[in-house]
Amino acid sequence: MGNFFSSMFDRLWGVNKELRILILGLDGAGKTTILYRLQIGEVVTTKPTIGFNVETLVYKNLKLNVWDLGGQTSIRPYWRCYYSNTAAVIFVVDSTDKDRIATASKELHMMLQEEELQDAALLVFANKQDQPGALSASEVSKQLNLVELKDRSWSIVASSAIKGEGISEGLDWLIDVIKEEQL
Amino acid sequence: MSTHTYKKFEETESGVLPDKMTVYQDCLNEFNESPVNPRRCRTLISRLLQLLAQGETFPKSEATTLFFSVSKLFQQPNDSLRQMVYLAIKELSSISDDVLMATSSIMKDIQNGSDVIKPNAIRSLTRVLDESTAFSAERLLKSAVVSKHPSISSAALVSSYHLLPVAESTVKRYMNETQEVVSDLKTYPYTNGSSEFYPNSTYIAQYHAIGLLCMLKNHDKVALMKLVQQFSTGNLLKNQLAQVELVKLVGELLHKDPQMVTQFAALLSNWLSSKFESVQLQAAKLITSLPDRYVSPELFAAAVQTLQALLSVPRVTTRFAAVRVLNRISMTAPEKIVVCNPELESLINDSNRNISTYAITTLLKTGTSNNIASLIKTITKFIHEISDDFKIIIIDAVRTMCLKFPEEWKSLLDFLINVLKQGEGGFQFKNSIVEALFDLVQFVPQSKEVALENLCDFIEDCEFNEILVRILHLLGKEGPTTKNPSLYVRHIYNRVVLENSIIRSAAVVALSKFALVKNDPTLVESIEILLRRISNDVDDEVRDRATIALQLIESIKSEPQLYVAQDILQCKYSYDLGALESKLNQYMSANEDTYKTPFDVASVPKYTEDERKAIELKKRQEQLFAAPTSKRSGAASQSVDAEKNNSSYVGPTLQEQGEDLMITKYADEIASIEEFKGFGPIINTSKDIPLTETEAEFVVTGVKHLFKNHVVLQFNITDTLTDVALDNVSVVCTPEIENSTELEEVVTIPIERLMPSETSVCYVAFKKSEGNIMEGFLNTLYFTTRELDPNTHEAFEGDEGFQDEYEIDSIFLTAGDYIKGAFVGNFSACFDELPHSEVAVYNIKENISLQDIVDRLVVNTSCLPLENTQFAPSDSNTHTLKLFGKSVMSGARIALVVRMIKSSKGIALKAEGRSDDAQLCGDIVNELM
Repeated sequence: MGNFFSSMFDRLWGVNKELRILILGLDGAGKTTILYRLQIGEVVTTKPTIGFNVETLVYKNLKLNVWDLGGQTSIRPYWRCYYSNTAAVIFVVDSTDKDRIATASKELHMMLQEEELQDAALLVFANKQDQPGALSASEVSKQLNLVELKDRSWSIVASSAIKGEGISEGLDWLIDVIKEEQL
Repeated sequence: MSTHTYKKFEETESGVLPDKMTVYQDCLNEFNESPVNPRRCRTLISRLLQLLAQGETFPKSEATTLFFSVSKLFQQPNDSLRQMVYLAIKELSSISDDVLMATSSIMKDIQNGSDVIKPNAIRSLTRVLDESTAFSAERLLKSAVVSKHPSISSAALVSSYHLLPVAESTVKRYMNETQEVVSDLKTYPYTNGSSEFYPNSTYIAQYHAIGLLCMLKNHDKVALMKLVQQFSTGNLLKNQLAQVELVKLVGELLHKDPQMVTQFAALLSNWLSSKFESVQLQAAKLITSLPDRYVSPELFAAAVQTLQALLSVPRVTTRFAAVRVLNRISMTAPEKIVVCNPELESLINDSNRNISTYAITTLLKTGTSNNIASLIKTITKFIHEISDDFKIIIIDAVRTMCLKFPEEWKSLLDFLINVLKQGEGGFQFKNSIVEALFDLVQFVPQSKEVALENLCDFIEDCEFNEILVRILHLLGKEGPTTKNPSLYVRHIYNRVVLENSIIRSAAVVALSKFALVKNDPTLVESIEILLRRISNDVDDEVRDRATIALQLIESIKSEPQLYVAQDILQCKYSYDLGALESKLNQYMSANEDTYKTPFDVASVPKYTEDERKAIELKKRQEQLFAAPTSKRSGAASQSVDAEKNNSSYVGPTLQEQGEDLMITKYADEIASIEEFKGFGPIINTSKDIPLTETEAEFVVTGVKHLFKNHVVLQFNITDTLTDVALDNVSVVCTPEIENSTELEEVVTIPIERLMPSETSVCYVAFKKSEGNIMEGFLNTLYFTTRELDPNTHEAFEGDEGFQDEYEIDSIFLTAGDYIKGAFVGNFSACFDELPHSEVAVYNIKENISLQDIVDRLVVNTSCLPLENTQFAPSDSNTHTLKLFGKSVMSGARIALVVRMIKSSKGIALKAEGRSDDAQLCGDIVNELM
């Protein structure tokens, strides 16, 4: 009987519900590294992702279903196949790659226009802060035109997946927002 | 899920397919749930797979949507669900776009997944990879190949095999690892006591590795040889399939280069005594399929002995395979497997009908005239218990026996009649029996009357129109010349009374032919009465035919010297149907103007009854010979069906048809040349004779055309050079005997310009005196070479070119060119009856087989070999060849009996010829070689 009640509570608080989170961004931004930093807390050697990686992790009592989709030009068109039921999008930007930040901005805004992502929260990681010449978070934010986003909770966090900096801060913010808005 | 709903999904046995769209919708809904229910998903995938396995398919867009939904299941870390996901990806990969999206997830599983799902993951990986992504899988596949787990290693090897067409270079990079697998005996890693109940390993990875290696080294003979050497030593190969694969590899090597048989002989005989039946079989099959002259008799005998032993093993499949190989040998060399006869005879009553049928057909081939009768008796006992397909195989075997042992016609006929009258069996089966009987009637004259009488009985109760009509036609054709024609008239008239209009029409035609019977006026009269009665028939066609027949009979009576009516009633000639068809096609496809002139039937070759029989017999003989050879070169695993088609195929072989058409084509070309208009019709045309090596600069073949008073030599010249054209190509033919008066050159038609890789024709015509002129011609090609501009393929301006000549082989006009093969039912009677005789003796020093001599004689004389003497037995040193033909000029008959003996010094021939024409007889007999 106790079991029954606890599962009732779980359902009430949405603990048993899995939250879908997508990690998107251009190729080489560090998406896969962030995913495994989240899951096993270590830096793994990665190859360019052909397709996607998916991992389930529990963070602050929430079950997260994190999808890391490949960022190569050829794979980007398939992102949309995985948009449905998405609670939040983590967009990763390579802060040192000034040449392609415009491309990243374009992809980001195009993605956010999708119907299925209207309710999704957005967390941007200005990644690779450990590298010299990296743009700061505010600079990235400016380049991505984030201020233009209306009707959406968003945040930008400077991070370094290699050193593990900024990742949990960003995720904490994201979880708070999701709990507030969707549960 | 309740048991009720669960059951609903498990309908695999009932054969009822789940609804396609329901499955599609359920899959989409269920797979996009969060969280997913693994068990429900598994059931859904299994329903999806069931649909796909039954041949259902989805449109590309739906399949792609399905694929993406399935890919979402990767979030579920459940091994059994993951296995299903891999199966689904494998199936969907061929009908869906964008399957590469699963690549990373699959690779992760191959790297970190559990051993249970690894093999599945590896197998589906090859389906999603393409040329550009394959290299990224190299390291994964390599480590999977060397994995200690046999299933993982096998999966990687087999997948690599499938990856070859996509990315061969990637697979090549772990060739060494693949090679190591063969010697690395992998066992299943059982942890607890279960290894007592399961085999440790089948070592199947060895088989897969050898298969992959063979493909990788496909083009490297030396590497393959090394492979065989390496793996055949010691007791390395534990897996029987691996051993079979090795035998097959040796087989491939030997078929490319049969010289190496001696090198492998020890190995092959070793395999013949392998502990695995399949290896024994494969080795025996290989040895017996190699060309005779390369295999030592001892080795062949050992192979046959192995097969013989396998005939009495308990395993049905082995017995079947062994008897099948023996059956194949029996087609070419029945004498070599006579030793197996006792075993084969015991297999006649095998409970497996396929085996017993093969045993019977083999026995029929190995049979001698002594045991035919007893064989036939055994067959009669069980033929009704087997399926129609096998019955037809047996009937076909019996049919070839009819030609092989004409003297045994009685028991064969009895058998055929017997099975024909037993009511069972479909059209195909009955038709094959009737075909066999037709052969008997045509080629074994002694059997004619008995066969016809029995056919008469048969048509009294026959349900197949086609067969009935054919039999009626045969009765009409053969009946009037029998001793007692009136007997058949009764049977035929019964059909008119009892059957439908199609058969009635056929019966009328048959009936009318009896009106031509000489010296029996009462019969003719009764026929007329019958026909008159029929002309009141309700059916138009029947009435018309009867009326026409009456008219014709009337006209024969009033004007017996006119043969037109007789020819219409009882045709003496039949047209060459192939030629007729091509002529008619030509006529129809030409422009309107040609319709003004009526179609000229005279241009189509006609055959008399005897000629037609000769052609048919020749075809049968060639079929007998050709069937096994074509099978040998074809795929080794041919189904019974294919063999059946092969042997019951009656039409001309493709090549032969080509030859016939060639001759018609040549005739047309010659007819269109102004200079030859006065020569009259072509009497005979030879086959193409090569006059140069096929790889020469200029390839020339010659054709001889005979006219009444002329000879035309046709030279087909091909320029194989790429940058030189030839101008004014002519052939100068010098008769071997100079100043011969009998031949006088009339005209040469040169080729104006022969462009590279083109073929053109040059003619040289001679006037000859009447009679058979024999002559050899020394031939030289004369031409002017012109260099071509490689860019424009035009001759250079101002290039004069230079004169050149090119010697080609001689062409001989021989006695054989004046002969056409003909058929005669009773050779020895005919031989004795011919007035002029001639004897000649030859000694041939060359080291060739009797069969080669026989083949050469048949070509040289252009006669038709009779009484199955065209096959020289390979186990005997003597042979007698019987040839028969007719002169194309005078129609004189010629019969030849050639006795030959092979000794260590060579082959001695004694030819005895008989003919209507002494001159012809001498020419032929003295010009055999």
